Amino acid sequence: MQHPHDETRHRYSESLDATLRSTVELGALVLENVRRTTEALLENRLDLAHQVIEADDEIDEKYAALEHRVFEVMARQQPVAGDLRFLVAMTRILYEIERSGDLAVNCAKGLIRREGYSLSANVQSLLARMSRKAADLFSRGLDALADLDAEAGARLDEADDAVDDLVGELYSAIAQRSGDMGFDLAVELSRVGRYMERIADHAVNIAEHVTFIVTGSFPEEPAATKDEG
Amino acid sequence: MTIPDPRPETRRFEVGHSASIGASKSAEPVFDIDDLSVTYGDFRAVEGITLDIQPSEITAFIGPSGCGKTTVLRCFNRMNDLIESASVEGSIRYHGVNLYGPRIDPVEVRRRMGMVFQKPNPFPKSIYDNIAFGPRVAGHKGNLDDLVEESLTRAALWDEVSGKLAEPALALSGGQQQRLCIARAIATSPDVVLMDEPCSALDPIATLKIEELMLELKKDYTIVIVTHNMQQAARVSDRTAFFTVDVRAEGVRTGRLVEFDDTGVIFTNPREQSTEDYITGRFG
Repeated sequence: MQHPHDETRHRYSESLDATLRSTVELGALVLENVRRTTEALLENRLDLAHQVIEADDEIDEKYAALEHRVFEVMARQQPVAGDLRFLVAMTRILYEIERSGDLAVNCAKGLIRREGYSLSANVQSLLARMSRKAADLFSRGLDALADLDAEAGARLDEADDAVDDLVGELYSAIAQRSGDMGFDLAVELSRVGRYMERIADHAVNIAEHVTFIVTGSFPEEPAATKDEG
Repeated sequence: MTIPDPRPETRRFEVGHSASIGASKSAEPVFDIDDLSVTYGDFRAVEGITLDIQPSEITAFIGPSGCGKTTVLRCFNRMNDLIESASVEGSIRYHGVNLYGPRIDPVEVRRRMGMVFQKPNPFPKSIYDNIAFGPRVAGHKGNLDDLVEESLTRAALWDEVSGKLAEPALALSGGQQQRLCIARAIATSPDVVLMDEPCSALDPIATLKIEELMLELKKDYTIVIVTHNMQQAARVSDRTAFFTVDVRAEGVRTGRLVEFDDTGVIFTNPREQSTEDYITGRFG
């Protein structure tokens, strides 16, 4: 996006580049929080769960500021073509990132509610695998964004199937052990599984928006983003 | 050879020697331009232009100065004929007829095509006479008062000037003068309205009125507009042609057509990088 010949347009390009960098940085904060949540979950660390909740305030503030910056660039520069696709996609990507941050917070709050729980080896292992997989997908979504990698959307969509499979296994494992662990914990852990699966979905959406930025269409059908449901 | 007259019967009036083919508007292109090049003396202004202009659409020509967009526009009504050194190669078919054929009368061509220029250029006469002049010259036999009112109404000016038709046109504001010029252009009931940067001398409010007017007029007329205002092209046109200028080593500059597509495509996902660079303001 470097066009040194025109000062005003150069500043415009720089503001687009800066928006991309800041959005990736915001994503990195969320990724850190997702990883922190995983650790809190697997090691029963309430101190980490509280850190997750605190760190989300900064994420929310940065999200609001970035969204405002995107709107201001739109208003002042009247972007078209690739710039327009970039900025419109950026508002969606910011939403995906911020929402993922909220899901990490939801997990953390659940852990605090169920303070002092213990997990069976199987459930522990499944939670570990799927949380790490979700974090890995989220990280790959951010890489796709940083590199504006048009191919990543399709790749991540495929990789997301593994997370969906794991959450299915987790539900079965929880159902089998629900008598031992108690109803409240069973519900809470099911929710955690669901939240992690959603974080992976948001990661896929981020990569698909990147495909849209670069090519003007989504990897599969138009509007192939995943259902919120 | 006669110039086709695609105007509906109701929009025609008898004019002097005008013989016409009474075809109604068809889905065929209004202009079919194939490998058009225009040369002024030794200087080749544009080359290799191939595009079509569809009926009842607004087609916008955009591109940097010197890219030949106005030159191409002026071929449509054979205004380049007025420049002695100009020569035109390739073909421009107007409703299927070669516009530069040996027996085509350029005056007759211009009757089919109203033209609106960058700077409003009303005659130094009354508002009424500005509209009535063309039809009078063309031998209009109907009620001139009605024609003046209809033209001014179509140009969205009637409500502002109906009480002062005898006043000088030059006393109107710039925006009103431009709408008067549009009224004058359509008073002779053309098929096509050519606009060469019609809003570049107007403020945003007057510009908005002209743009609304263009959208209204395209129901009845085919409009081709040259504009430097890309937002204007994006707002009003159905299709957009992007021209650029190639500068050769000797400093010779020749315009060419880079991309021609639906305006929605041009402004969201153009095919050519040079189109993208131009419309996003990266002129390099």
